[in-house]
Amino acid sequence: MQLTLANHPITDLQFGAPARLDGTVLVVDADSLSRVVLQDPAFVGVHFEIARPGEPCRAGPIFDVIEPRAKAPAGGADFPGILGPATTAGVGTTDVLKGAAVSVLAEISPDLTRSATGRVLEMSGAPADASDYANLHHLLVIPQTKPGLSRQAVEKAYRLAGLRVAVALARLAATEAPESVMRFEPVGPAETGREGLPRVAYVGQIFSRQRKPEVDEPILYGANTDGMLPVVLHPDEWLDGAVVPSLHSWFGGTETYFYQNHPIILDLYRRHHARKINFVGTIATIAGADNFDRERHCQVAACLVQWNLRAEGAVLSKYGGGLPHADLAETARLLENMGIRTAVMVSDVSRDRRVESALLFNVPEVDAIVYNGGNGMRWELPRLDRVIAATPQFRNLLSGPMTIDAPNVIGVTNQQGASRMTALVY
Amino acid sequence: MRIAHYLNQFFGGIGAEEHAGKDLEIRDGAVGPGKLLESALGDNARVALTFVCGDNYAVEHQDELTAAVLAKLRTAEIDLFIGGPCFDAGRYGMAAGALCRAVQNELSIPVVTAMSEENPGVDLHREALYIIDSGTSIAKLRDVIAKMAALSKKLLANLPIGLPHEESYLQRGWLRDQLVEQTAASRLVDMLLAKMAGQPFQSEMPATSFAPVPIPAGVKDLSKAKVMLITDGGLVPKGNPDRIEGTAATRWGSYSIAENDDLRGEEYEVSHGGYDTRFVQEDPDRLVPVDAMREMERSGVIGKLHDEFLSTCGRSNPLSNTRRLGREMAAKVKQAGVDAVILTST
Repeated sequence: MQLTLANHPITDLQFGAPARLDGTVLVVDADSLSRVVLQDPAFVGVHFEIARPGEPCRAGPIFDVIEPRAKAPAGGADFPGILGPATTAGVGTTDVLKGAAVSVLAEISPDLTRSATGRVLEMSGAPADASDYANLHHLLVIPQTKPGLSRQAVEKAYRLAGLRVAVALARLAATEAPESVMRFEPVGPAETGREGLPRVAYVGQIFSRQRKPEVDEPILYGANTDGMLPVVLHPDEWLDGAVVPSLHSWFGGTETYFYQNHPIILDLYRRHHARKINFVGTIATIAGADNFDRERHCQVAACLVQWNLRAEGAVLSKYGGGLPHADLAETARLLENMGIRTAVMVSDVSRDRRVESALLFNVPEVDAIVYNGGNGMRWELPRLDRVIAATPQFRNLLSGPMTIDAPNVIGVTNQQGASRMTALVY
Repeated sequence: MRIAHYLNQFFGGIGAEEHAGKDLEIRDGAVGPGKLLESALGDNARVALTFVCGDNYAVEHQDELTAAVLAKLRTAEIDLFIGGPCFDAGRYGMAAGALCRAVQNELSIPVVTAMSEENPGVDLHREALYIIDSGTSIAKLRDVIAKMAALSKKLLANLPIGLPHEESYLQRGWLRDQLVEQTAASRLVDMLLAKMAGQPFQSEMPATSFAPVPIPAGVKDLSKAKVMLITDGGLVPKGNPDRIEGTAATRWGSYSIAENDDLRGEEYEVSHGGYDTRFVQEDPDRLVPVDAMREMERSGVIGKLHDEFLSTCGRSNPLSNTRRLGREMAAKVKQAGVDAVILTST
């Protein structure tokens, strides 16, 4: 398995026709993209806006951020299992519009109790400095869904629309020569030539079953994780569309963009290429709904790390909110007892900023803990003239001036490793 | 700059333990360590008032002592309040800590104290105060005073306060979020590689540890026991009469299930944003198992199901809050004469 990323840098987005990649300028044809979205009868309308880095512009709630990518011909399906047959992701060439993003707005808030505003894209000011998303040129997809659909049906439609638009844009690069090509060195438990280097694996949760997924909810190769046990994935599968976030992201912090640009996997690759480590592979797992599920998932994940990947160390990340910390810590504990060293990444979902309430497990072996964010930072956002939302209510709510908590600025407390937040204990 | 300083009988020069019962004495000007404080703080620093009190008197009359000190300070135009240093003197630490807190709350001026980590005053007051780590050796007095003065100057100038090891204060137990250059992913891999190599690494979150809760004795005869159901899954009667919050709840409710054999979805709602509530909404018995308990009641497995259940929402609820909720609920359980409780969580 070897993925080739053909990078086409994008320095601006513009509306125009025909759609094309004009050097580093992506010309977007709103009419043809509308047809891409409206093929789904869940939509009665759609329009598009462009948000540029540094521009005083705010948009939200953001349902998902996606990097425009498309498989080169004969490379397999884009987002296999979702937009096409479940061919293996991570094989062949994928065109990437580097510096661009497709961001889908929602007409509903993900969680009224915690985040009435939803996740907001802020393109300027201090919050923009804290989110990698503010450096991208965004094509905002502003959907209008048919009245009367269930929440889940609406979210599924958003997912498909975002992925379809991202693929349609990246296909414009198929006939262009990429500016650079990135290939990853072979990875796997049986690779030779790296004897003596630390064997490192990644164990990533891709869903938390504290909510039962919808029957048709695409998460891993289009499947909803029902009945799933932890599974070995090649790192390139994560990067190439095998995994997308679940539909209803309560706590947030997981977007398609950072699966495609998975910060942990790319960091492990960087050290693999520098011959500092032997990156032996990854495990995709889920957080259980109860202890029966939890014990099974944790044990199977730990055994795969030990026997299939033969790793000596593992980094672990979680999905969702508080409960998945239990699965994270239990998997790490099992690994530590197997003699496999671990480091885990957590978030603080408590609200009183006390150390005693922040960590949701108490496992002496799990002592290497990285923090990716909590409720302790907020910003005063100014009133902006350009506020983009899918409903007048959200435009009004987001127009400012307003105070916003860091987790509600998309990208800031990312759980896939992109967060630049840490906690100081004082 | 005008300073007020609190000392115990020993540092106030009255005498040792035999004078621990001495009541509050207010003196003009600096006494003992106060002179070191003046010189550490610089030219214009003057200890205007020194409060001296015996350790026993202070802890036995804490409210009176606090009231007297506050009354004097209200008209004294003080810029800074210093307690101690107290080293490992427990009663001294508790009294100085309580005074510092009261002054901080009532007069909104900077306060600084100093104790050793083991001083019981630390656990009582660490969250609220900057407590310089004094160690236990009185021989280090000058050094401790210098650290207290340095931190005081920063507080007076409203400068940002650094981390405990930078400013020599004892960890207060608070988290502060900060943005850094390195991504969490890269920090995570760095930490793992250090751990694998047996090198030191700094976890970003300290391990929490809790004293084990002893398992109580079993119910002697369940068939005679009154059993109560309590949940933190957020089940409330339709309309949520107690307005129990769906996250970090500050309230709990007590709801009648008298003469009720089966909870019906249309009469209840779920105030909880942290799990999939659809199944509980369909059948609340799956969270608060009244139906199953009634069967056990009929068949004599339990004596009686208490005719109220208690409910709150456990989602993302800090311990500072849940301790109180737990205490209040326990009092209610006791008062109801319940023998056993089944706690259902989500």
